[in-house]
Amino acid sequence: MVKLLGQEIGGKRVKHSMISRIFDNLLGRGSAAVTVPPMDGALKPNNQLENLQPGIPAAQVDDIVEWKGEPLWSDGATLVSRSGVQAELPSVITALAALDDTLVVATLDDGLILLGGDYQRAEIAWATPITNVTAISVDQSCDILFCTGSQTNAPNEWRRDLMETNQSGMIGRANPKTGEVRILAKNLRYPSGIATTASGSIVYSEAWASHIVEMSADGSNAQIIFDEIPGYPGRLCRQENGTFWLSVFAPRNPLIEFVLREPAYRKAMLQEVAPEFWIAPHFYSGRYFNEPMQGGALKQMGILKPWAPTRSYGLVIELSSTFIPLRSFHSRTGGSRHGITSALQSGNTLRMACRGNGEILEMQLVEKGKAL
Amino acid sequence: MSLASSIKKARYRWLPDHVFGELLSKSWIDNAIPFTIMIIVVGVVGSLLPNFFTGSNIGILARQYGELALVVLAMTTVILVGGIDLSVGSNFALGNFLMLYFLNLADLPVGLAAGLVVLICGSVGLVNGVLIGYLRLRAFLTTLVTLIIVRAIVDLLLLEYAQDMSMSFYSSPLWDLMGLGNVSIFPFSFVILVIVAVIAHVIFSRSGPGWRLLAIGGSRRSAYNMGLPVKRIVCLAYVVSGMLVGMAGILYAARLSGAGTDTGLGLEVLVLTAAILGGNSLGGGRGSVTKAMMGAVTVLVLTNGVLRLGLNSGSGPMVLGLALLFAVFVDVRWMKNRHKLLNTVYVSPTLMEMPEPRTTDEGPFKVNDRLSKVDVIGLGDVESPEDVILDDEDYLYCGNRHGDIVRFTPPEYKTYEIYAHIGGAPLGMSFDKDGNLLVCVGGMGLYMVAKKDRAVTLVTDETNRSFFSIIDDSRLRLADDLDVAPDGKIYFSEATVRYEMHDWPVDALESRGNGRIVCYDPKTKKTRTVVRNLVFPNGVCTSHDGKSILFAESWGCRINRYWLEGPKKGTVEVLADKLPGYPDNINRASDGTYWVAIMGMRSPALDLALRMPDFRRRMARRMAADQWLFPNLNIGCVARFDDDGEIIESLWDRKAANHPMITSMREHKGWLYLGGITNNRIGRIRLEGQNNRWTGWSSYWGKKSGENA
Repeated sequence: MVKLLGQEIGGKRVKHSMISRIFDNLLGRGSAAVTVPPMDGALKPNNQLENLQPGIPAAQVDDIVEWKGEPLWSDGATLVSRSGVQAELPSVITALAALDDTLVVATLDDGLILLGGDYQRAEIAWATPITNVTAISVDQSCDILFCTGSQTNAPNEWRRDLMETNQSGMIGRANPKTGEVRILAKNLRYPSGIATTASGSIVYSEAWASHIVEMSADGSNAQIIFDEIPGYPGRLCRQENGTFWLSVFAPRNPLIEFVLREPAYRKAMLQEVAPEFWIAPHFYSGRYFNEPMQGGALKQMGILKPWAPTRSYGLVIELSSTFIPLRSFHSRTGGSRHGITSALQSGNTLRMACRGNGEILEMQLVEKGKAL
Repeated sequence: MSLASSIKKARYRWLPDHVFGELLSKSWIDNAIPFTIMIIVVGVVGSLLPNFFTGSNIGILARQYGELALVVLAMTTVILVGGIDLSVGSNFALGNFLMLYFLNLADLPVGLAAGLVVLICGSVGLVNGVLIGYLRLRAFLTTLVTLIIVRAIVDLLLLEYAQDMSMSFYSSPLWDLMGLGNVSIFPFSFVILVIVAVIAHVIFSRSGPGWRLLAIGGSRRSAYNMGLPVKRIVCLAYVVSGMLVGMAGILYAARLSGAGTDTGLGLEVLVLTAAILGGNSLGGGRGSVTKAMMGAVTVLVLTNGVLRLGLNSGSGPMVLGLALLFAVFVDVRWMKNRHKLLNTVYVSPTLMEMPEPRTTDEGPFKVNDRLSKVDVIGLGDVESPEDVILDDEDYLYCGNRHGDIVRFTPPEYKTYEIYAHIGGAPLGMSFDKDGNLLVCVGGMGLYMVAKKDRAVTLVTDETNRSFFSIIDDSRLRLADDLDVAPDGKIYFSEATVRYEMHDWPVDALESRGNGRIVCYDPKTKKTRTVVRNLVFPNGVCTSHDGKSILFAESWGCRINRYWLEGPKKGTVEVLADKLPGYPDNINRASDGTYWVAIMGMRSPALDLALRMPDFRRRMARRMAADQWLFPNLNIGCVARFDDDGEIIESLWDRKAANHPMITSMREHKGWLYLGGITNNRIGRIRLEGQNNRWTGWSSYWGKKSGENA
């Protein structure tokens, strides 16, 4: 399990010889280095998420979608819009997408289901069961594209999946009319966001690899188009003008990178330590004193420094149609707007699902890369 | 328990790997490699050659050694100042020739002749020195030129006088003694060498001129910038070199009484090899007389051995060349990598199995918000008040990170003054019987601020050195809390002997018993270590009955009692363990119990890591300290316990809004005052149901209470 860990966690899949890998692991350099990419350029930290007005409370908020002209989000097992709870499903919702009048919903227990205009479940039998769905998108031919984060861990167990360093995720295409399912890519490292480009190709984020991959509609020609993301990239949402909003749901952190390279410790931690207190990324942190603390995060003179190491962070990035970061909104260490799981722009309003603080945030965007 | 974990336990118990790092941190470790090489060479050559270790052979070698080592010393002097002297061989030949000339043809007495020779050879050094020191020519080329010129002069002189000299034969008792005689059992030249070496050692290691010379060798520019007379000292080094070579030439003349064209030929390579093989850095600034002596032994035995083994004629220079190459290699690699090696191996975490902590969900440690409503004192005015203390007149004292003792004025504590300036990082404090303030100062030791004139005096900054400790643990590095016993003895803790104050997280990472309890007796003015191998001892407090002192072992999450009298006198027993956090200062409470500050809480992830020293070692090597896994210190907690170690209650600042990492607290007249080493404020909170006339000082030293009570 450890064998290829080094270079793959680093993001790039560079082939190393066995010998250089052994040396790297021994000396902690090269592929075994625990450095994380810096936040600079368009990713320069700011406090724009932190400065937003209090949003709409939604404790278990996860995904947002625009359906029938208004935003709709999932909060645990319920579907909520601005006017209140619209429907309650039997199990927790893990992803949403709109397909004309139909709402495509993924839940923990039932996998991918379709809801009609009145939230009634439509009968559809998939050729193969679709489970552990982390993100859904709909392409031009009205096929459903979905990400299965992991074969073994449900989306609410994503931290365990990272700590197990799994790479069992899949990208698939499902036809809502015939029920036909086709797997386009597999053995992925927790795909957790998917979108189509104007040219019809598919882009998906591979969270544990901290990169975004573009591939043709049939799953061929996969190549990394955005790499070295300083966090774990989640859902992707394409705008009409061709740009994308990328939600980065948790930060990368040298200590976590280090633990990922320490199989013995990781295994013991998964067995003995309560998940809340793992050395692992989270949607929020700093709530309990039993959480692991890193040296730089010690409050000095009454202040927790915003650049201190943290297990949670709030980050939304706007990417150009060619996947160059244009701007980003942050909530830094010690802030509360952490764990942004989804972002959706309607008009000039950017709505974000903030899982860390349990709210839907609204931000008025202005042009030229500046936000109010 | 599995076999693997038993082996792991045994390994950390019996193979203390911190020793290796401590060895490397010693400055004498530089001698280890040359010394080993010397032993190996002597051993190998001695076993190959018959009669090597017999008295006569040793005598002959010692006589040669006297001459060679003087020249090595000359070379070392110049190398230490950052130069090189290739002219030693020619100069040696010149000295040898002149000595014979003065005795045989000029009929001078031995003493005068020797003096003249030393002066003349010194003047050759002076030429080198002026050219290199004052005119800033390259040492290598300059001395190469002098080598050739002096050699040419010697050859010319030989051509002129060799025949005359071989006709006459000088003899006198002194001259015979120098050449063939012994002082006691030691050859004359060896005795001279010992005298010169001792003087040189004292100069290099213990005198201003020697230090300046080394400073110039270390960094000529810095030495110049700090105002050292660089040119003069460099010049003088060459003069000294020339004079030493002259002395060696005289001894050589006395031994062989012959001058030839091959005298001193190739000597410069021989002595250069010896100097470097001994461990003197070719770059200058690092080296010693001892090293030169060791190198000379190695080279002498090596060349003699090769000669007497009857190897081919080319093998002598070959062995010498290889030895020089090896010496330069070791010099460069060792100098370059020693500190790197030290950095990677000094930190050595040990195995620490933490017991399951007491619960914080219920019972006395149940989390609450009782510290959320503190009155804040001195916000922004004090930085790092590790300890707070109040005197009987209600004045509030604390240290700060600027090295001051700050005093707040009652009853509002809005105004303050700098009561005294000590320097360092004032930590734990106590009042003695006379109201003098005793302060443990991180990095400095135990200090006292007198009550009457606020004069700061050093109480103690050293204790007895442990017999088996590799690092020098006599100096106090991190004295952190103290208390005074009824008999006036001061007991204080030193958290760690391996790290300076600001490296306390590294000590936490190691979690080894690096600390100790030390006792200062004001009657005898002696400081003695009383308990060793404690895990970050902290928070010393004399018990209410005065029969024992209590102290915390922070990383061990326990509170101990050290008995001062009674049947258990001198022993340590655990009073309360399995604490959910890391105890810091302990102080008396008004009702016969004790307060303990809990500076941070245990996290299960760290408890697990403490069981995995390798994990922590790699963490320390691969990440900056800011990224390390720490104890969770972003929480404020104070607890109260009694003489049986029973926890009675706890007060929490759950959100750590005002008081993360509380390191100390004092009860005074019904209030509890809080200090924290990472904080910029002092807090106080009204205590319910505690005696509001009680003061700490009167609890120790009397029954009177303050006027403001």
